Amino acid sequence: MVQKNDFKLIKCGNLIDCTGNAPVKNGAILLESSKIKSIGHESNVIPPEGASIKVYDYSKYTVMPGMVDCHTHNNGFGDGRLGEELNLLADEILTLQSIRNLRASLFSGVTTIRENGPKNFTLINLKKASNDYMVLTPRMLICGRPLSIIGGHMGYFGSEVTGIDEVRAETRNLIKQGADYIKITATGGSTQTSFRYRHSFNLDELNAITSEARKFGKLTATHCVSTQGIVNSIKSDVDMIIHCMFNEPDGSNKFRPEIVDDLFNKGTYINPTLHVVRATIWDLLNIKERIGLTGSQEKLLDDRKRDFDIHLNNCTKMIDSGLKFITGSDSSWSSYQSGNTVYETECLNMAGLSNMASLLSVTKEAAKSLDIDDLVGTLEIGKEADLLVLNSNPLEDISNLWDVKDVFLAGRYIDRGSEKSLKSIRQLRPSLN
Amino acid sequence: MTKLNSFRLIKGERIIDAKGGDVLERGAILLQGDKIISIGREEDVIPPEGSQVEEIVYENKTVLPGLVDCHVHLNGIGDGRKGDQLNLLPDEILTLQAAKNARTHLFSGVTTVRDCGAKNSTTLRLREAVEMGITVAPKLVLAGRPMAIIGGHLWWFGIQATGPNECRAHVRQLVKEGVDFIKITASGGSTGTSVPLRPSFNLEEMNAIVDEAHKFGKHTAAHCTNSQSMINALDAGIDTIIHGVYNEPDGDRSYRPDITERIVDQGVFLNPTIHQSRERIWQLEEKSQNQKLNPEEVEELNTTKEGHEQRIEEVSKMWEAGVKIVCGSDSAWANYKMGRFQADINSHISIGMSPMEAILSATNLSAQSCCIDDQVGTLEVGKNADILVVEGDPSKNIDDLWNIVDIYQDGNLIDRGNYI
Ligand SMILES: [Zn+2]
Ligand SMILES: [Zn+2]
Repeated sequence: MVQKNDFKLIKCGNLIDCTGNAPVKNGAILLESSKIKSIGHESNVIPPEGASIKVYDYSKYTVMPGMVDCHTHNNGFGDGRLGEELNLLADEILTLQSIRNLRASLFSGVTTIRENGPKNFTLINLKKASNDYMVLTPRMLICGRPLSIIGGHMGYFGSEVTGIDEVRAETRNLIKQGADYIKITATGGSTQTSFRYRHSFNLDELNAITSEARKFGKLTATHCVSTQGIVNSIKSDVDMIIHCMFNEPDGSNKFRPEIVDDLFNKGTYINPTLHVVRATIWDLLNIKERIGLTGSQEKLLDDRKRDFDIHLNNCTKMIDSGLKFITGSDSSWSSYQSGNTVYETECLNMAGLSNMASLLSVTKEAAKSLDIDDLVGTLEIGKEADLLVLNSNPLEDISNLWDVKDVFLAGRYIDRGSEKSLKSIRQLRPSLN
Repeated sequence: MTKLNSFRLIKGERIIDAKGGDVLERGAILLQGDKIISIGREEDVIPPEGSQVEEIVYENKTVLPGLVDCHVHLNGIGDGRKGDQLNLLPDEILTLQAAKNARTHLFSGVTTVRDCGAKNSTTLRLREAVEMGITVAPKLVLAGRPMAIIGGHLWWFGIQATGPNECRAHVRQLVKEGVDFIKITASGGSTGTSVPLRPSFNLEEMNAIVDEAHKFGKHTAAHCTNSQSMINALDAGIDTIIHGVYNEPDGDRSYRPDITERIVDQGVFLNPTIHQSRERIWQLEEKSQNQKLNPEEVEELNTTKEGHEQRIEEVSKMWEAGVKIVCGSDSAWANYKMGRFQADINSHISIGMSPMEAILSATNLSAQSCCIDDQVGTLEVGKNADILVVEGDPSKNIDDLWNIVDIYQDGNLIDRGNYI
């Protein structure tokens, strides 16, 4: 916990405030308790006279805001297991796995996460423990549980609802239980009883959810791996589209520029989750190198590679059309483990975001998409002092985001533990292609 | 993880094997995988010919068994809150707290704990998570939920049983869920609705619980804060008495040599939890150095001190009479946070133990009382390589147990910087 009148002076060799302005050489940040009191060139940052000040000298390093990951599943293991299997574990175990994932994220430089689909009360209770300082976590925005139709994607997490009254009631329940926003699976997905190429909720149900959420000032986000889900989400004024895949009911992929125009006009945020697709590819490549693949695995590998290429290509077109892309990893879903958010930012970079835009996609823009940009996402006077200190400059190479030296959360230096344990967080890129 | 055919040779300036004999000067321990396969003087411990051996030398250090804390409450927070409040937290939070406590205790040198009462399935779930590799913990000897009467001490952890039949049914349910022993609150305690000066279960109920537990090879431990509850526990054939306070129903505190004699004769272990109250004394005394204590705190300090002195006196007599006294912290109950087991070991010096005897009470004997001495508690051939390395010589200065250098659990060197 931070003491009152507790001042820290952070000297920054290279200060990237992520407002979009050019970096400042020989910058400095003055923190008072959890907040930024003053920031700029070091000659302009003057600590109050007579105050006791702790100085952190990062004059050989880059300092930027802590990262914001808009899409996480902290119950998950990222070891390729299906949600159906995950869901069989006891709530206590899912909670323990969640805290481990949250620490991995925090230690990797992610100081804010949005949680997109946990079971029962696991994250609701975990967040209570975090608010009481019983456990250390990044800042958390939680959905409570995802809203699903019967048999729909992630319905097993505890909120399967039908009809406008039930969807309204469950939205109210979630908000009562502490949800910060409403997550909706608007199409099927990897859940075996769901239909990934079809929409799930009917438009009247989706409208009921979003209007109820809006009434209480809560944002909404929809999982959409097929086109009709996107279309419905636009009609319901959903704030963020997740995955945003243009699949038709017959499984074919057909990019729809007119839908992209609608998304542009609405200002909807897009969380494309590219790496979670690539993580499966990497998993298969690792198996291939170790023991070889079976025929069906080879086919899966080819399918996933094709899916990834199509989606990457579509993302490039959407970026070119000016859509607002943000980093949301989807870890630890599928084969993507927490603490590896940067892989997703690298994918956005690969899809066409500039280095600066990529950096903003995991800071300023991400915070805006979560409506917490008054608190975090940039380094400005009055904002929370969530800081990421890097050994190298991410504007030269976005992969330098991996090169973490130190992390501060709400002005507090985070003891991240031993090098050895930190190393274990990173999922390695396979040597095969 | 340790490979089964990997050999490691640990050499130490001093080795305390905790079997009761002298300190071994310039000793060595040979590990194969997770087990000790040889121990003795350096020159007598010879790895098999041609084998690859990793050698670890601890100059000027003492090597001893990992500590065994026979009484913890992993759910606890140790911030002074009452159990009546603690139990209101959801199971997910209590499980998170249990994981945090387990890690803290492990990193402080405790490689085995016996949990003497937790809510619902929280500690059993923690063990599952450890087995899945989600989190680290000392070896866990678990009671799951404690056996309590309606309104009795710790009732809100999930069991309120009445009558021998219900008692037997609950024991069977616990055994089915995988507990290692049965914890019974044989008297009231700090639980608001319980009566600390009176026994809780009737003798026929105590008999049923202990009998049913023993049938399945599970041992039993009873919380006793008055003399009658000790007598009932002894009549029922209990294995460990916890606290063991000589209170009469009228609040009179008079030592009962007859009960002590029975404890000795029946070979029952006593876990006196001496430091629990001293921790609070230390906290209040420390506070009083910086600020004035309020009248309630002054009152609390005086009564706690008085009680603590009586406690030392009683337990000293029991120790003198030959009771097998074992070290169990009772953290993180009340004000005693986890990771400070050494303070309870130190408290055994105040009842007349030598430093070596205090070490034994927190290793060998404690392991015996947890029925896990076939695996841990001493450094002997065939046991698990749960090993603690400290600076200095705790057989001379018990507080050297605080100076942790390295901890091994089942032959694995613990990364004490692993916060993931
Ligand atoms: Zn997701
Ligand atoms: Zn206890």
